[in-house]
Amino acid sequence: MQAPRTDAPRRALFSGDRDTTPYWAALAKGGLQIQHCRDCGAWTWPPRLICSGCHGENLEWTPTDGAGEVYSWVVSHRPGAPDYVNLTPYVVALVRLDIQPDILIPGRLITDQEVRQGMRVRAQAEHITDEIGRLNWVPE
Amino acid sequence: MSKRQFPRGEAAIVGIGCTEFSRDSGVSTFTLAARAVKAAVADAGLKLSDVDGLATFGATDTMTPNMLAQALGIRNMRYYVDQYLGGSVSMSIIGQAALAVSAGVADCVVAYRALNGRSEQRKNGSTIGSGSKMPWDIPFKLSPGAVSPAQEFGMIARTHMEKYGTTNEDFGRLAVMCRTHASDNERAMMRHPITLDDYLASPWIAEPFRKLDCCLESDGAAAVVIVSAERAKDLPHRAALIQGAAWGGGVNIVNNGVVDLAETPASVISKRLYETSGLGPKDVDFAELYDCFTYTLLSQIEGYGLSEIGGVPDKLADGAYDRATGSTPVNTHGGLLSEAYIHGMNHVYEAVQQIRGDAGHRQVAKHDVALVTGQVGYLSGYSSAIMLAGA
Repeated sequence: MQAPRTDAPRRALFSGDRDTTPYWAALAKGGLQIQHCRDCGAWTWPPRLICSGCHGENLEWTPTDGAGEVYSWVVSHRPGAPDYVNLTPYVVALVRLDIQPDILIPGRLITDQEVRQGMRVRAQAEHITDEIGRLNWVPE
Repeated sequence: MSKRQFPRGEAAIVGIGCTEFSRDSGVSTFTLAARAVKAAVADAGLKLSDVDGLATFGATDTMTPNMLAQALGIRNMRYYVDQYLGGSVSMSIIGQAALAVSAGVADCVVAYRALNGRSEQRKNGSTIGSGSKMPWDIPFKLSPGAVSPAQEFGMIARTHMEKYGTTNEDFGRLAVMCRTHASDNERAMMRHPITLDDYLASPWIAEPFRKLDCCLESDGAAAVVIVSAERAKDLPHRAALIQGAAWGGGVNIVNNGVVDLAETPASVISKRLYETSGLGPKDVDFAELYDCFTYTLLSQIEGYGLSEIGGVPDKLADGAYDRATGSTPVNTHGGLLSEAYIHGMNHVYEAVQQIRGDAGHRQVAKHDVALVTGQVGYLSGYSSAIMLAGA
């Protein structure tokens, strides 16, 4: 019987669709990118080809530090995805972005501090595969 | 310009049927659906050959109308709905069926939901589809490890706690109430009574939610028969007239445009439902509200005007929603929290049984007008609700 590989490459649980591939790939390379509209200036999240402000298609992938504040959170005592089994309990925070306050993004919040509404955070990208990265939140 | 008017009271629910609710049905959703539909048609005093429409909903886990019609010998299908999604759309198929019947497109539509929600396709996120079968928004929830509804609704509940000072004890009182209502319900999966201490001792799932904040996962099916109000007069039971139905609304947090999650999205559907039915919160004798979590029960009590915003804790302390003594009994069967998770169709079953006066020792004193709702309006970005009135 073959021993399990301890150096097995990490596997993503999903793949991006044709529109969202650049979002996940940017996170894999270490940065958060959000689409910004060249026409109306609105930011759009989750990623898609249609602008949330003017519904046009003139969006540009734009790096951002993801600065924002915790709007809400849960402490997950059960894994909310198979690759979180060894992380429980972990905090999932819903973060309101400074660049446009109607954007709320969920992500694991990595901190030793007591979590509270209004806590300042920024994005931290985590490599899963070369195509798929993950957005985590860390204190600013 | 549209009339914006639902055909008030022109269609009615005249038959109800269900299977046993369990953790493992041992049969397919095909069989569950067939059993519930047969039971509902028999209860209505009709034959399967009278059925010319079928309506269901689900997320790839129910039996579709085309297959079911062939199995049951329904040769003259004139109307069908196979609505994608879950509890948020549960009441929309009743509204659709009523529209079809009142328009004369079909004479007899059976609305049903069948699922093996515990033994096959679970609702806690652990059996979500993969690859191209995955709903579009799921990667954005899988990535942060938050695909379980308990996590998403937990984050939403937290915003209400922050804004209004709502506590876990308030959620706990709702859990205790539903369990009390289920304790003498022969259909209920969870019948042993619980106390607030039991609630507070139950393990965290996604803090602020404990295990007892979360609804059951169930196998089973429920079905209701819808015909015109005119035809209902010749059938054996007191008809439950469909006085109003509304669907749409809602917010999806995987989208920008979200401003304040603490404000109940049910208020959108509530306003339309009351307008179109010509009834208001004070007319509601009892309500069966979609309680996938304790918090969504609270959110809908607010959204349908059965309490002021932020006022549910005080109302609970007064027992306002208790089945035996409350001014507006809520979830008289124990709801999704304690009866079973039949995705809201069990709420319709209970409402019709109460309207008929057939609920036995569960019977509420005033039972002429019932509010029945689907999911409050988070998660998918939809919601739905109906208003029933005894003929």
